[in-house]
Amino acid sequence: MRNTNVLILTDDAEFARLLTACWQVERQLPGICVVTSEFWREADTSSPDLIVVGPLKDGKLGDVLRSMESNTALILCAPSEAKELGLLRKKYPKLLHVPLREDWTQVVLLLAGESLRRTEALKLARQAERHAAQYANQATLGRYMYDMKHNVNNALTSLLGNAELLLLEPGGLSAQSLAQIKTIHTMALRINEVMQRFSSLASELREGETQSQVETEEVNSTPIPRR
Amino acid sequence: MQFSDVENCAERMRVQKKVLIVDDSPAQVKLIQGLLEPEGYWPVGLNDPRRVEEAIAMERPSVILLDVVMPERNGFQVCRELKSNAEFNSIPVILVTSKDTASDRYWGQQQGADGYVTKPFTREELLRAVRRFA
Repeated sequence: MRNTNVLILTDDAEFARLLTACWQVERQLPGICVVTSEFWREADTSSPDLIVVGPLKDGKLGDVLRSMESNTALILCAPSEAKELGLLRKKYPKLLHVPLREDWTQVVLLLAGESLRRTEALKLARQAERHAAQYANQATLGRYMYDMKHNVNNALTSLLGNAELLLLEPGGLSAQSLAQIKTIHTMALRINEVMQRFSSLASELREGETQSQVETEEVNSTPIPRR
Repeated sequence: MQFSDVENCAERMRVQKKVLIVDDSPAQVKLIQGLLEPEGYWPVGLNDPRRVEEAIAMERPSVILLDVVMPERNGFQVCRELKSNAEFNSIPVILVTSKDTASDRYWGQQQGADGYVTKPFTREELLRAVRRFA
């Protein structure tokens, strides 16, 4: 929960104070920002991972919710008889409702913890997908280069071998032809040297693969914080 | 075939060591033939790796130069099958290939290959490998 952000949106200062105080005694504390409905639209909330909506001024709840994206993780702390609740659940599939009973803070912390863990797990999964796509691209490039190397080496075998065959019997060649064939031979050897460098490609690809595995292991060994 | 041709052939067989070159590329076969002939070898080319056993039975080569990347039947496969066949397993097989990584060499060795030459090779590299066995 180290990199997660929670926005507490309420016009009830006591609600915000109580919830923040309860959160602070927890082992894992997300970044918390408190905002009232008056400043909700103006506040730079930098896309929070979770929004906890507490008591708001009359008529503000609808406005506030309408301005949110439908995929926002949302905990609504409101009396259970809230009229709009049924409709809201349809519009916001991620909405969780916590009735304002005496244990509401514990319920909110429990739900928020689960929601933030899910957000974090999704972030890691997306990161892993991005890395996998990146490595797949590199692997395609590697395979392509390896195939090209094979074709070039075959062509180079003919080039080098035929030049050597011609140089075996230099008697029938003019001095100019002989010099030209020697140049072809030398250049073929030079191309061969360049192609040899591609041999390190396989080991570099293996190195890349090992690094990606190390990253995965690191991510894997980082415990997902639990309450 | 005239009697003299038969005699010539027998004489050639007595003096020259036969080398079977298996490569799907006719240009590569021709090249290797050109490199071996001046050294006194009798190179025989084969472009179809499926007919290796047939060619060996007919030509009785002293050594086989075998490409690896070939359609239908690759060189590793051919080598493995020759080495597991009591009739042919005594004939040295040299893999001649552009596959040049350590794992390729190791895999070639695992298939029972007696030698390994990577493409592109110089005339000397090829001859050195062939002279080890013929």
